[in-house]
Amino acid sequence: MVGSVVHPGNPATEGLTFGPPAASSVALQSVSKYFGEVSAVSDLTLEAQAGEFLALLGPSGCGKSTVLRLVAGLETPSAGIIRIGDEEVNDVDPKDRDVAMVFQTYALYPHLSVARNIEFPLRSRRVPVAERKRLVAEVALSLRLDELLDRKPVQLSGGQRQRVALARAIVRRPRVFLMDEPLSNLDAQLRVEMRAELVELHARLGITIMYVTHDQIEAMTMGHRIAIMNNGVLQQVDTPQVVHDRPANAFVAGFIGSPPMNILRGRVVQSGDEALVDVPGGRLLLSPAHASALRRLGLTETVVGVRPEALAIDPAGTIAATVSLVESLGHEQHIACRLPDGRLVMVRLGRDQVLIHTGDSVTLTATGALHLFDPSTGDRIDA
Amino acid sequence: MHSRRLSRVVREAGVGYLFVLPAVVIFAIFVFYPLVKTAYLGFFATPPTPNLPARYVGLSQYRSVFSSADFRDSLWRTVQFVLYTVPGGLVLGLALATLANQRMAGIRIFRTIFSSTVATSTAVASVIFFTLLDPQVGLLSYWLGQRGGSGVLQSSSLALPAVSVVTIWQNIGFTFILMSAALQSVPDDLLEAARIDGAASWTRFRRIILPLLSPMIFFAVIIGVIGGFQAFGQIDILTQGGPNHHTLVLIYDLYQQAFQYNNAGYAAVLSVALFSILLVLTFVQFWYFQRRVFYVQ
Repeated sequence: MVGSVVHPGNPATEGLTFGPPAASSVALQSVSKYFGEVSAVSDLTLEAQAGEFLALLGPSGCGKSTVLRLVAGLETPSAGIIRIGDEEVNDVDPKDRDVAMVFQTYALYPHLSVARNIEFPLRSRRVPVAERKRLVAEVALSLRLDELLDRKPVQLSGGQRQRVALARAIVRRPRVFLMDEPLSNLDAQLRVEMRAELVELHARLGITIMYVTHDQIEAMTMGHRIAIMNNGVLQQVDTPQVVHDRPANAFVAGFIGSPPMNILRGRVVQSGDEALVDVPGGRLLLSPAHASALRRLGLTETVVGVRPEALAIDPAGTIAATVSLVESLGHEQHIACRLPDGRLVMVRLGRDQVLIHTGDSVTLTATGALHLFDPSTGDRIDA
Repeated sequence: MHSRRLSRVVREAGVGYLFVLPAVVIFAIFVFYPLVKTAYLGFFATPPTPNLPARYVGLSQYRSVFSSADFRDSLWRTVQFVLYTVPGGLVLGLALATLANQRMAGIRIFRTIFSSTVATSTAVASVIFFTLLDPQVGLLSYWLGQRGGSGVLQSSSLALPAVSVVTIWQNIGFTFILMSAALQSVPDDLLEAARIDGAASWTRFRRIILPLLSPMIFFAVIIGVIGGFQAFGQIDILTQGGPNHHTLVLIYDLYQQAFQYNNAGYAAVLSVALFSILLVLTFVQFWYFQRRVFYVQ
């Protein structure tokens, strides 16, 4: 299992002579997990393809970490089947699943040196000493840990600990990598660096990664696909672009994007081919396609989503609002506008656009795509 | 500028000394003074009858006690007693704590039972075992096939082990609580990481849990050794040092010399010996464990 398989023909693994792990797919089929009466994951069907970087995104308590622990074997599913590669692993012990996990806390063994930490999974698998030394040296070199091998974890910085945790995970070339919020304990700048390093590592090793995060930027920038969960239920799985441009429901729409999408509820006013939605402070004009979709569904009320960048402050606008907060980020401004009913709407403007002050009365207009959702189910209404 | 800084240092130091003063006073009255007084008492031979003045004999009483076979024998018995009780108690306490550290229904009941001996006094524990080991009516004597006859506590080969077992039983609750607390402070993440890393349960125990427990084990050993050298109640109730001196440990010898034979000088020498031995042992243990104990900051 831990033989030195070398793949000289694969350019993605150059610099790592111990070769790529045999990446496997991970498939969950109708998996549920209950803790007593509480349902952590319900009826989840999800697959990470071999070599894929799949991000699991959701608010805390949405069940995403439980999914990872189910795949690792730290929890047993209450229902459903989990497969790694072609093998059903429901009854397989964690140590025999050939997966590696990087914990949010890194879970480094505090009494062992960096070298011993990295070596631990090899020792457990009775890899011969010489082979062990070679593998540790190689992986340490590739993660720039070669100078730190004799240190104890307490003597390392957060970023270094993170790399030790990664080294311990990749040293035995598992079939699947599970990462549970691995960057959340790092400061903002280091997080950006480690993000790039992880993406590069993934490309170099061609491994399957299931990556849990509550940070949509991480999920968007790193994942091939993003699986968004809420209350234990999978909301949408797709590429970052699709998740952003065509959110499957109002939850995904409100969760993805920074600042998040504005969600407004209003009555539909049909007039001929056109349709308007009455929202607090004014009305929004819908496209003919949206109008006919609403007519087809017979909806008299709808939920409208509009991204902050799809709104503009315009004297000819159709929605009246009062500016309540102006946040300048240097390259752009976020304007929080209060509608007559007290609800806040975010508008994102470029740096050169109008100068706005708190308390100004403004009118807003939609300049980009509107998203419509069914008011009872929250599901997307396609034009 | 310089003098002002100095005066501030002096002032802060003064406040610091003020804070430790109560402790120093109490220690001085109840520990340091008796210690010096005891060592001083050892220079006097106690007279055979109470009304005569004590005779100054200098170091000769120390010399004669330390070179006597009686002293060596009681010291050796004490060491045996500590060797029986400390490792035995530690292993048992750790085993029980490990068992009780599982997540399962009703485990609290076991935790309460295992720690209950903390609430039992040495006297009560001793009386319980005295009855259990009674050659006529004792259940343990019956099970051990010692019914009738002279009894376990009256056997020259079984008395010290029997007293040790009682001591282990009495201490198990405390050791259990110490080890349980230490076990609960081992992060779940580490054990889960080790499981995924391929470590079987014994490997996890030996390579992860045990090193992380080492500070508490160290503490338990030191406390156990000191307690072992000072164990008195169970010996007084169960055997009074008998049969034929087979449970006559240092502290019981000291007690008999001081309060039964009225030989205060001799007892003082023994108590200085006991103090010195414990002091040296504790330093040795500190030195030994310092390289082996791992502290997570």
